[in-house]
Amino acid sequence: MMSCETFRMNFHESTEDAALLAHLRTCDRCLDFAATADPDVMFRALGGDDLVPPGGIDAFVDDVMRQVRVRDAEITVTAPHPVSWTRRLAVAATLAAAVTGATLVYRYDTAAPPATRLVRAPIAVQRAALTTKPSVETYQSESATIVEVPADQNDNVKVVMIFDESLPADL
Amino acid sequence: MSADIHLMIPTTPTVEVDDRQLVQTIREGDTDAFELLVRRKTSKVYALCYRIIGNAEDAKDISQLVFIKLWENLEKYDPAYAFDTWLYRMVTNVAIDFMRNKQSRDNAVNSTLRLVKTAADAEQGVVVQRKEVENVFNDVSSVLSPKQKTIFVMNQMEDLPSAEIAKILGCRESTVRNHLFNARKLMQQQLYKRYPEYAQLWRER
Repeated sequence: MMSCETFRMNFHESTEDAALLAHLRTCDRCLDFAATADPDVMFRALGGDDLVPPGGIDAFVDDVMRQVRVRDAEITVTAPHPVSWTRRLAVAATLAAAVTGATLVYRYDTAAPPATRLVRAPIAVQRAALTTKPSVETYQSESATIVEVPADQNDNVKVVMIFDESLPADL
Repeated sequence: MSADIHLMIPTTPTVEVDDRQLVQTIREGDTDAFELLVRRKTSKVYALCYRIIGNAEDAKDISQLVFIKLWENLEKYDPAYAFDTWLYRMVTNVAIDFMRNKQSRDNAVNSTLRLVKTAADAEQGVVVQRKEVENVFNDVSSVLSPKQKTIFVMNQMEDLPSAEIAKILGCRESTVRNHLFNARKLMQQQLYKRYPEYAQLWRER
């Protein structure tokens, strides 16, 4: 420990000497001397030592550890069940496959032409049945309503529906 | 004979575990290691908090908060850097936040309060007393911004060089020096205003 005499001999303005500062922080008489020589050093006298919190270090540490344990317990209770990354990956892959598959099926259903042909087949049968009835080339009536059935562009046959009260019921 | 017996007693060498090793152990789930770390750093953390905040109870609460934050964020510590630098950064962040909130509360309540010593006191001269210096510091440093005060405390009381403070605060060294210069100037002005008996020390230079 430095003596007051040594301190006063070696002290100078803006000193950074650790030994001098250590003495300054413990000796009241030298603080007064140093403050007169270098007022800037006045507040430096407050520093240096580590301090003990009120209640002591043991109580402080116990408080901290208690709070840490409480927080840990809270996290354990509130945290969701951990799911391994492989399981997460499997779920993601399944979802992706399901979405892709559904999209492909939807596109196939809406765009594929064979489905339309399959629907038309029974219509051809109906046409065959209609041919058993007398076909009408021309028709003239003042009371009839004639509705033209829309047909494909490539189809030469034109189908019309005739509503006429004067016609026999079985025509 | 007694010397022989003494030699046969197994001695356990007390090897101080490095901070980085301790942190590694804590990361592996050892709560006791964290307790050891808290015990090791309490005095330093509390001292810095106390000097920045200037109130024992608040400093204690803030120190505890620092350690809880430390526990929660230990995964983020990069062992490439000194542990104390990282710890001090946490202390200063929490303390500065606290000071900012406190200042805004105090400004709302005590905006007109000011301790003024009379000119007669100044005439009588002054004997610098440590406890009184502490009160003077707490009073005149209240005009500093939380960052200025933190820098002043770290440099003047914790003896940290400005380069180290720059690392802790994540700013440039020149910024630290500027803050330090401004802090000194502001405190001297306050000293003239509120404590003329101490300010005389400057006048007499």
